[in-house]
Formats: sequence, C-alpha cells, structure tokens
Amino acid sequence: MPTFDFKNFDVRGAAPFIALVALIILGSFVHPNFLTFDNLIQNVATRTSFIAIIAIGATFVMAAGGLDLSVGSMAAFTAGVMLLFLKSQEVDAGIGTIALAIGLAIVVGGLCGLANGLIITVGKIEPFIATLGTMVILRSLFTYLANGGSISISPALKDIYAPVYKGTLLGLPIPLLVILAVAALCALILYRTPFGRHVVAVGSNEDVARYSGISTNRIKLWSYIIQGLCVGVAITLYVPRLGSANSATGLYWELQAITAVVVGGTLLRGGAGRIWGTVAGAFFLEIIGNILTLSNVNVYLIGAVQGAIIIIAMLVQRSLRRA
Amino acid sequence: MAADQIQHTHSGSLSVQNARMDFAGNTVLHDVSLEFRRGEVHAIIGENGAGKSTLMKILGGYLSATQGQLNLANADVQFSSPKAAEHAGIVLVHQEILLAPHLTVAQNIFLGRELRRGLLADDRAMNAQTTAALEDLGCKANPTDRVENLSIANRQLVQIARALSGEHHFVIFDEPTATLTPVESEALFKVIARLKEQSCGVIYISHKLDEVKRISDRVSILRDGKLVGTYTTDDLTPMQMATLMVGREMGELYPPKPSPHNTTTALQIENFSVAGFVHHASFSVMQGEILGFAGLIGAGRTELFEGILGLRAGHGRVLKNGAVVEFKTPRQAMDAGIAYVTEDRKGKGLLLASPLTNNLTLATAEKFTSGFLMDRGREEKALDEAFNEFDIRAKSRKMDAGQLSGGNQQKLLLAKMMLLNPDVVVVDEPTRGVDIGAKKQIYEFIAGLAKAGKAVVVISSEMPELIGLCHRILVMRNGAIAGEVTGSNITENQIVMLATGTQKEAA
Amino acid sequence: MKRRQFGFAAAAAAVAAATGAKADDMALTVAVSIPAADHGWTGGVVYHAERIAKALEATHKGLKVIVKTSPDGASQASALEDLTTQGINALVVLPHNSDELTGPLKAVKAKGVFITVVDRALSDPTINDIYVAGNNPALGKVAGDYMKGALGKADVVIIRGMPIVIDEERQKGFADAIAGSEIKVLDSQFGNWSRDDAFKVMQDYLTKYPKIDGVWCQDDDMAVGVLEAIKNANRTDVKLVVGGAGMKEMVKKVSDGDTMMPINVLYPPAMVGTAIELTVAGLMDKVPVRGRYILDATLVTKENAAEFYFPDSPF
Repeated sequence: MPTFDFKNFDVRGAAPFIALVALIILGSFVHPNFLTFDNLIQNVATRTSFIAIIAIGATFVMAAGGLDLSVGSMAAFTAGVMLLFLKSQEVDAGIGTIALAIGLAIVVGGLCGLANGLIITVGKIEPFIATLGTMVILRSLFTYLANGGSISISPALKDIYAPVYKGTLLGLPIPLLVILAVAALCALILYRTPFGRHVVAVGSNEDVARYSGISTNRIKLWSYIIQGLCVGVAITLYVPRLGSANSATGLYWELQAITAVVVGGTLLRGGAGRIWGTVAGAFFLEIIGNILTLSNVNVYLIGAVQGAIIIIAMLVQRSLRRA
Repeated sequence: MAADQIQHTHSGSLSVQNARMDFAGNTVLHDVSLEFRRGEVHAIIGENGAGKSTLMKILGGYLSATQGQLNLANADVQFSSPKAAEHAGIVLVHQEILLAPHLTVAQNIFLGRELRRGLLADDRAMNAQTTAALEDLGCKANPTDRVENLSIANRQLVQIARALSGEHHFVIFDEPTATLTPVESEALFKVIARLKEQSCGVIYISHKLDEVKRISDRVSILRDGKLVGTYTTDDLTPMQMATLMVGREMGELYPPKPSPHNTTTALQIENFSVAGFVHHASFSVMQGEILGFAGLIGAGRTELFEGILGLRAGHGRVLKNGAVVEFKTPRQAMDAGIAYVTEDRKGKGLLLASPLTNNLTLATAEKFTSGFLMDRGREEKALDEAFNEFDIRAKSRKMDAGQLSGGNQQKLLLAKMMLLNPDVVVVDEPTRGVDIGAKKQIYEFIAGLAKAGKAVVVISSEMPELIGLCHRILVMRNGAIAGEVTGSNITENQIVMLATGTQKEAA
Repeated sequence: MKRRQFGFAAAAAAVAAATGAKADDMALTVAVSIPAADHGWTGGVVYHAERIAKALEATHKGLKVIVKTSPDGASQASALEDLTTQGINALVVLPHNSDELTGPLKAVKAKGVFITVVDRALSDPTINDIYVAGNNPALGKVAGDYMKGALGKADVVIIRGMPIVIDEERQKGFADAIAGSEIKVLDSQFGNWSRDDAFKVMQDYLTKYPKIDGVWCQDDDMAVGVLEAIKNANRTDVKLVVGGAGMKEMVKKVSDGDTMMPINVLYPPAMVGTAIELTVAGLMDKVPVRGRYILDATLVTKENAAEFYFPDSPF
C-alpha cells in the first residue's frame, strides 16, 4: 500500500519533525550563517550527540512507564572512570587503549543502569526516588574520583582520541553517524522486536502486560540497562571533545533528555515510544539555543524565549492532534 | 431560560421527537421519537451500536442532537451540558465507573457539592447521609472506605447513590447490573421500584432481557439507529425481544452441551489457598468438560484461579494431566497450556490505546518472529484468522482496541488467549457488557472448545449463563467451595442457596 | 577578659591532648569550615586548606587545625555547632552564603572564638576579626587592561558566568577598564562557568562573527571549552584568550609560553591558606592581624607563573 493515506496520517508522530523544520526556517532568517553545513551539521548536530543518544535510552525507560533522573550524574561518573583508565594507561597508549576505554565506558554505563533497574524492580522503589538517589550517589562518586576538581588526560592522548568527536566519515561528523546508528538500532528494537512490544505494553498498562504473561520486572530492568548503555555510548563521544570532565559535566542532562523525549512525542506517562521523534526533539532543543546565541535577543531573556518556544511547539503539536 | 421553568414543574413527561444524530458523515440515529413517562420503568434494548448510548447521551445533556426536539413537561428544552440536564432533574447513571479512586465513598458522593459547616467540610453529615443512601441500595460499603478498595459491584452502587443524591425526576440507568451479583441486583430493583412509587421516571438500558421482562412497564427496541417500536412489556417474551433486536429469529441462546469426551482429568487442584481470599479449595476439571464457578462477588473465584495460575501468591497442589506442577509466573502457566481470560478486559485484558494486531499477539509475540524481528505479515494474517473465527467486527484494521464495542473487545481478548493454543481455558465473566448477538457467539465458541476436547472453566455471576453452558457447577462462598451442582440439580435455587449459605440453615 | 577565656581553653586543650607540651608552649585549636569540593574552584579551596594546615602544624608546636567540609549552608551551620562544642579557639570560615550563616557565626563569636571570614562577606561585618577576599572588580579590570594593551583596536567577545554578584563585579571591572579604548565588545553571553556550555557559546560566536580578535571568559574552566572550540573551527583570527582564577592547566600554559593564552588573572583558592596563616600568626605569634585583606587580582605572566603553579592541586 504505497499510496499516501491522509486519514491515517500520523500527525502526532510527524509533529516533532514539522516543528524542527519550522525552527530551521526561522533560524535561516536570524543569521546568514545559520543554514550552513559548518553550523548546522559540524557544530550543532555534533554537539547534540550526547543528549540525543541519552534521550534515545530515556525513550525506552519512559515508554515502559519509568523515569531516570540519574543520567547526568551517570554520564559524569562514566566519564570519570573512563578518563582515569586512560590516564593510568597514558605512557604507551594507542588506538587499542582507546578502544578498551570505549568498551569500559559502555560497560560502566550498563552497570549503572542495571543498578537503577534492580533498585526499582527488586527493591520496589518508585523510579523518581530511586534515580534521584543514584543521581546524588553517582555525582558524589565522580567528585571523589576527581578529588573535587577535574580529570584530564594528556594533550597527546587527547589528540589520538579527538577524531571521534571532530572527525568525519563520508563527509558527515562521526557523532552524527553514531546518533543515526543508535537510533536505527533502537527503533528496530522498540518497533520490531517482541521486547519492544513488551516495553510499550508495560508502559501503557502493567496489568495487561502481566496477564499476557510478560515479566514486567525483566522488561523494566532492561529498559534501565539500555538507558545506561546509551549513556556509556554518549560518553565515548563526550570525552574526546575536551579530554576532561569536571563537576559541571552532565549537569541538567537528565532534564534536557526528558524534554527531548517529550518534545519528540513520547508520553511522560508511558505507553508509546518514538525514537526518531526523540532525536528530532534533541535537535530541536539544541537548535533553539544555537538560534538564540546567533540572534540579538537580550542575554537575560534567552531563557524566557527558550521556554516559550518549547511551550508553543507543544501547544501546536497538541492542537494538530485534536484536528 | 427554559431550564429554569422546568425546575418548578413537577409533573409531565420527557420526550424526544425526530431525533437524528450524525457523526462524521454517519447517521447513528434516524428520526427516533419516544416518550418517557413519570412513574414508569421504560426499558431500551438493542444490540451494541443500535444507538442506545447516543440516545441516552442526548437525554442526559452529553450530546446535542443534529436534528430533533427535546421536550420536558410540554416545554421545549435544550441541554447544553450534563449539568443543565441534572438541573432539570434528569440524571444518567453511567456504565463505566467514573469515581475518584483515592477519595472515600462519601467524598465521591458529595464531590463538587460538599456539605459545609462554616468554611469546613461537614464530614459527619456527609458520612451519615452516605450511610443512609448506601443502605437503601443494599450496599455494605462504609462511607469512609476508599473507592479503590471497593469491589467493582460496590463502586457501581456508589455511583448510583451519587446520581440519586440530587433532585431527580428521570433516572437513566445504563446497564447497571452488568457488574452486579443477583443479590445486589435485587437491591437495585427495589430502589427502582421505589423510584417508580415516588413517580420518578426510570429509563433502563440492559442486555439482560429477563430483567427487562421483570422490571419494566414498557420496552422500546432500537436496531441500526432506528426505532423498531415501543411495546408493553407484558406483550413480549424475552425471546421475542431478542428477535426484534437482531431482526431475525434467534434460535436457542445456548448451544447444546457437548457430551464429555472421556474421563481424563486435565487439571486437578488440591487444598489450594490464597491468603485472605481462598482456603483449601480442591476440585478437578476433565478434558471436554465445561465446569462452572458460581458465587457472590468477593467469594474468591477470580482469586482462586489467579493464585493457581501464578498471577498472585497462593499455595496448594496443582496437577496438570496427572503431573505435579507449580506456576510461579503467569508465563509458566501459559507454557503449560493453561489460558486465563480475565474478567476485566479493559483494565487487564487489552491495551486500549494499541492497535488490534499488537493486542492480538501480545501474549504470544515470540511466536510471530522471523529472526529477532516481529513478522508483520504473519501478524496481519493472524488478525484475518481472528476476524473470521471470532466474527470480530472492526471499522478499520488499524483502529485501536479501545474503539471496538464491548462484544468485539471480548472476542479479541478470546482470540488473543487462544493463540497460546491452550488445552485448559479459564474464562472469567465472558459476557459482561456484551450484547446478545455476541453473547450467543461466545457461548457457541465455549461449547466448541469443549467439543474439541479442551477443559473449560467458566466463572460467571450470571446464573442462566452457567446453567445453560456448564456440565457441572461449583459454588464458592467466603473463599471456600461450598458445594457442587450437577445434572438435574442445576437450578438457580440450588446455586443461590449454596452461594448465600442458606442451605445449611434449611438443613 | 578575652585573655582569660583563652587561658582556660588552652589549658583544657592541653589536658585533653595530654601531650608533653612545655608549660610556656601555647596550645591552639583552629577550625576551618569550607564548602565541600562541588566544583573546580572549591576543590582548590579544600586542597589549599589541607596543605596549609599540615604545613602550619609542622612548624607550630601545640597547634591543631581541623578542616571540615560541608555540602550546603544548612549542614555548614550544624558543622559550626559541632566544632564549637569540641572546643576551638579560632574559626576560619568560607561561608556557603552570608544570609544563612551570619546567625550561626554570631553564636560562635559569642563563645569568644576568633573569627576569620574568607571570600564571601557576612551581612554583619562586625562578626569577623579578619576578612580575606579576592578582588572581583580587579579581576575584570586587570583582564580589560591587559587586552586593551595587547590588542589595541580589536573586536572581542565575552563569556560570562552566571547572573550573580561575582559575575556583575567582574563584568563591571572589565567594562571600566576598556571604557574609551578601541576595544569593541561584539557580544556577551552566559557560559554558566561550565566547559561544555562555554564550548557551545564559542562555537556559535564563531559562526556569528567572521572576525574575533580576543575572548575574555571569566573563569579558566570556561577557557578550556573556548580554546577547544577555536581549535575545532580552524580559525586563525582569534589572537588572545584571557581566562581567570589561576587553574593549574591554564597557569601551565602561561608558563609554557602559549601564544593564544599568554597571561592569567588570579582569583586564587589559595586565599584560604592566607586566612589560616594570618589567624595562626595573630594568635600564636602575637602579631597584629585584625582587619580586611583584599588580595590583588595578580596578573600571571610567563615570568611569575611558577609561583602560582600547584601541580598537585585539583584546580
């Protein structure tokens, strides 16, 4: 059935992309350099990668009816462990060491997610409280690892690793390609596997899922593990940018990720997940910031304009849905 | 305003003239004219989709008709909202439970019109009035109970109490007994009789034709949005009503009971207990047998099977085909070939906001994969087969399960659980809120399962259903199996005596 | 009167410690209450407090310095009560905020404890015996003066911290310094004292303005992000980046003769050390110390960088 079916056109699903296009059109009027490859792709798309990838993980957690407030601290902690490992290997470090460090970051992220998941499923603690707790714990562990300051690797080692953030493949920045790969894989998992169906079932009605023979705890646990793995992947792109992490690393990332997920059309109360919408939502948020810096809006009012644009986008999305 | 005049008019009938309702190009009500009199019980019957709910929503101020006129006490009226209708003394008791679960019974009944003493809510007065109102309805709930802790039947009674707590000249009941046990239904019928005595008009929608026959004075029948006619109830038998509703001869509602295959025990339960609900229940069901479970609401029937099937904690010996088994999770029971079709299809059976295919394959998703991925082609094929086998009628294949009528939802739920390919099937309240046409199909399907050699357990609060379907009926009371009726002993009387415990006193 | 109390406390401390201190050796307990290391600069404060405490204990017999960190204002207030109960002669405090801690410090003062306040002034200045602070307006002014001299006619961009008093003071000092010069400020936005946010703002500045001669960011953490953004963009027009606060990585760059970052302006976390030393000097060495000490926003250059480089400090 290749014909376009207007009646069943998924307005809700398309809304984040429409909003993104509208924002890009707006941006092109604000500054002549806005609509350039260097700005939109090399700068903005690349630096969106951390939030976008973490938000993809958050889409699983939220589709299953959960919430993870710890991702920002988890990012800092994971970065801390990864940097300390790199520092310890600094003397004769090479590509192999970096590959090992990347693997380590993803494992550490996954273990943090496992911890969240176990506290929530086995410990039966509300996700809000459980992840608020791990948020504080992981932040403190990072401060401990960093001895209160920052953790940096030597410029020489950073230069070996840097291309992962700055480099391009087929003309596109590597972080952008990683976003696309993670999103494609996660979309496949969420939309096309039995596990994905079960995630949505648990989020929309846990009783129905249970009466359908689904182990709701197992599904929730895995949603948090996926979130943790995504944080790990995001960190492997973050570390090569500055080669360091400090107490500001990952600050408020949880709020940005949750906002991206919601702007992308996933319901806060669970029951539907939209991976590509989330990616669009993350780009949307980052582009707002980019446009405002490029514009001449009063610096004290930037926050107000930012908030207003998000609310307007959500209002338009809501009215489209009613139509 | 017209509504103000009406408030002071205490007699006169309510009528609709040439009501017509269009939804998105579809006409769901064609020129229906009806008159409802005070002091009379007027039943409205029809299959799902016949237009009953639309008509009731017009009367109750929830919808305004595309065309037509509403008339109350010889004056033309228009209700812009349910509040305006209530103001004119017309209240609608919903079929769905619309209560705040975390508030108490009294708080719900007085929600939005709390009694006050000075600035504070007068809880004592509200609780006292609530107690009186609930007693009238034969409801044993306390005014200070939280609604979330009540059974569905009690919630329904609280909802009725709430509707009747304001001034009312016409009360519309939308399938009020769908979730009530016989005892509770009796209490409701008494309330209806009293309303009638107080010269209140009662408009009564139900699928239970024997009830309609018993309590109504007149009956109007709708079919495909058109009025078939209004009759004096005494002139019709339930079977004639059914024939008028479906527009063809109905034949027998219950299929002939299939003769049992053999005497192989499919499932045997010994000394099974569920803390707080069931004590030491023992029974067995054979291949090809339909075993009924009767009892009052709260007798522990649902909890017994949820315990056996790993849906809640319980302990006892369970033998499947002679081998001892233990189900710690629902999945283990499913894998052992036992399917449980829940009584709560909206809360526990179907994902109302998900498409039909996703619902159909939810319990068996792993069977519909090729490699790691779901095979959508096979899912669509399974939906086709379900449409055929269960006669599910959906406007679109892509619609959400919540948009199906009650009967079609129930069929979809059955189809979903049958994909497990079980040899023991437990169906809990299989026809609750389902119209008579779909009911008949579900009964035929259940009989078909037994004919195919599967063991079937039917839990139901509708005694005619159990009597019409089952080979054998176990009656539960207060968490224990109180007795068994079989063969010629299967009568309503026998069941009621066992369910209420009156037999012991008689003996 | 103060003397009598001192004598009593000293005797008590001496008995408690049960050391073999000579009768004429003075025993003194100094508590240092500072915020926990929640960002780079406070991390430096903790490091220097511990460093100086150890050094002073080694040179002053009978001296005991207790360093206590607290994550927020409320817990700092309770920590003060606990410390006072333990029996202290002097308190060096870097308060989380003046509103929440002025009251508790007044109570400590009433017990006769010598009080030294660092960096953040109290609402009631009569409480402190010594006040030691960096000079925020001067930090802006020194940076502005240097850029004026180094660049002459130039277009510069500014990355500010967060909208709070410290930021305002630094901003004003900078504006005063470049007033009437040929320095033109193209833009000024907040980078939240974060490397990552400063990186973003700098990327967008580079997109927005085809030519930028110099960048002033209020803090060295943000300078890390700024330098990386410039490097990634392969832009050669930016000649000068000035940071501030004396982070070790940046001081190292200065001492290595980095061309883009030839100087730094101090707002040193080591000021807590100054405060502890002054306190001990006043009470043990009996030199006059009471008063207000506003440290210079020293210009760090290649020549003097070694003085301000602490490779072991976290900041």
